[in-house]
Amino acid sequence: MHSYQGRVLRVNLGENNAQAEPLNMDWAAQYLGGKGLGIKYLYEEVPAGTDPLSERNKLILMTGPFTGTVVPCSGKLAIISRSPATGTILDCSIGGHFAGELKFAGYDAVILEGKAAKPAYLYIEDDEARLLDAGELWGLGAHRAEDVLREKHGPEAKALVIGPAGENLVPMACISSEYYRQAGRGGIGAVMGSKNLKAVVIKGAKGLRVTNAERLLERLQEIMHQDTLTEDNLWAYTDGTPMIVELSQTTGILPTHNFQDGNFPGFESINADAIREARVGKRACVSCALGCGNFTRRGASVVEGPEYETLALCGSNCGIADLEAIIAFNKACDDLGLDTISVGNVTALAMEMAEKGIHDFGLRFGDIQSYLEVPGKIAVREGIGADLALGAKGLARRYGGEDMAMQVKGLEFPGYEPRGSWSMGLAYATSDRGACHMRAWPVANEAYGDLDPFTSEGKAQLVVELQHYNAVKFSTILCDFWALSLDTLAEILTLVTGKTFSTTDLEKIGERTVNIARLFNVREGFTAKDDTLPERVFKDALKTGPTAGRLLPRAEYDKMLKEYYILRGWQEDGKPTQEKMQELGL
Amino acid sequence: MGLKFAGDKCIGCKLCQLACSAAGEGVFNPLLARLFVSSYYEGPELKVQGRVCTLCGTCVETCPTNAITFAEGQLSFIPENCDVCGMCIAVCPEQVITPRENGVALCNLCGGSPWCIKWCPHEALVLEEVS
Repeated sequence: MHSYQGRVLRVNLGENNAQAEPLNMDWAAQYLGGKGLGIKYLYEEVPAGTDPLSERNKLILMTGPFTGTVVPCSGKLAIISRSPATGTILDCSIGGHFAGELKFAGYDAVILEGKAAKPAYLYIEDDEARLLDAGELWGLGAHRAEDVLREKHGPEAKALVIGPAGENLVPMACISSEYYRQAGRGGIGAVMGSKNLKAVVIKGAKGLRVTNAERLLERLQEIMHQDTLTEDNLWAYTDGTPMIVELSQTTGILPTHNFQDGNFPGFESINADAIREARVGKRACVSCALGCGNFTRRGASVVEGPEYETLALCGSNCGIADLEAIIAFNKACDDLGLDTISVGNVTALAMEMAEKGIHDFGLRFGDIQSYLEVPGKIAVREGIGADLALGAKGLARRYGGEDMAMQVKGLEFPGYEPRGSWSMGLAYATSDRGACHMRAWPVANEAYGDLDPFTSEGKAQLVVELQHYNAVKFSTILCDFWALSLDTLAEILTLVTGKTFSTTDLEKIGERTVNIARLFNVREGFTAKDDTLPERVFKDALKTGPTAGRLLPRAEYDKMLKEYYILRGWQEDGKPTQEKMQELGL
Repeated sequence: MGLKFAGDKCIGCKLCQLACSAAGEGVFNPLLARLFVSSYYEGPELKVQGRVCTLCGTCVETCPTNAITFAEGQLSFIPENCDVCGMCIAVCPEQVITPRENGVALCNLCGGSPWCIKWCPHEALVLEEVS
């Protein structure tokens, strides 16, 4: 297949050894790249029971066949490992320009193994890969560290960096690039920290050779204008994800006060209009025609963002309606290397614990001063930060309040209230890495769309289809903001690789990817009992707004889950059947 | 007509550079493009840079062997005249002439319909009259 470099750089950090090896093209044909291919490599190479923070765990940086080309919205990199937050499979995607540079350096992937003897960073320039001393970088924020690396290796060098949170193995630590792009979830930054690896820096001069470039340029340009730069997608450019605040508020699913409600009176201070007023620039990932990044400034605070998830989790969910404070909180998290979703979620939980008299961490809904101190404390595990760094599940386990710890498998909820969008509850519960909005986003069809949000009818089918669709997109890799059809995706993949792919082929690849992720989790001991939601969703009704009085009845949830397993060809205990595995070639 | 770069519209996606290198060299490689754009953060600022051929003619005037000519609104490179002295690269004020094995690569406006403009999603690159 064209559009692959056909090479993987395998780096053993402990032995200070880097070797290029051929990409397994049989696997590439079955899983494409990104999420799917990365999970396949991890499944084959990391044995069951591996401690996520041990040197036996691996960190895989994976591109896809679209990376480095002009396929619109193809600038993302997949990073795959076993999650220290959940113990599940973990694949994150990060924007910016690193993925393209990796491809231009002549690699499809980098596999990081072992642990460096002392703090180090990996420098890759085409065929040269060296482990360099990171003594002076260790302890620096991700932003300053990236500045130092750019000064040293030139402005064209691209970097993946961790902040102090990753160094301190915080299970909500992320990996950052270009200040404001993050592989956010599941503690992927802690895996990097556990390897004593502060950064990966890359410069590529080789480029990606393609056959029939002119034909590619002509057809893809038509597709970009007819299918990408359209009303369905340009919201990403005009407003970006903050436009979702209004949608969630009007449909009653905007997380408020630790998911006690779906209706936030201060929403107008954090919606797309507010972000537009604060916006001073726009920025895109490489190859992205949409350019969703909003660079905003309020007072002394600047950030690229805040994205919807941050506005919801660190804004309404913490009772914070002050945009300047949210920008400052967002910037601090990005620099310290923390996932804003998990930090916002656990902060809100701690606020509610004080409200309910379970434990007083000195945090209150709406209190800006104490709120702004949280990221710094979590990143170094100091004071209340040592407790909050446990995450919502760990914090509730220690102090009580497990029913109101809004997480699945140890990963905190993102910004969609499942009691007002029932299929989102199923999507959270069955996502391969815990509560995630990127494995399936059925709110678009349900709460924001035409489907009745308060019925289980047809929802299992919807979630299954969306999970397949997203699994394929994240394997090619495309950004989820481009709402293209599988037919168009098949056409582009055929054009770019030279191998014919049909829509059915892609559906099968999506299903295979979901299933190998499931097999990884099954191997780690996860079963049907883990595919559930916090008790609050089943028993506490929302209080105000359009979803007042709503909950997700457990019987309806159980019905959706049962139907989901049947559609998937999984047993009642949540394991894929032999027939299904054979059908998918697993 | 020459290229004009509007930094306030550029989102730094580099589709222009990728399209340019693919059209000119059959390879996706921003380093081989005949133009350069960059968008990056530096401290509290978002910086945007762009360099395109402005048809200033300095390379034509400087080339000692007439390997670069200007006719019908476009630059042309004549490899057989080039002795690879590198002077055009050195004098180009926009630094958009780059070395190749037996000569240089420069912007010829793709014969009048530049790929970079066709690929720019937000009209940060346009054609405009130049004197």
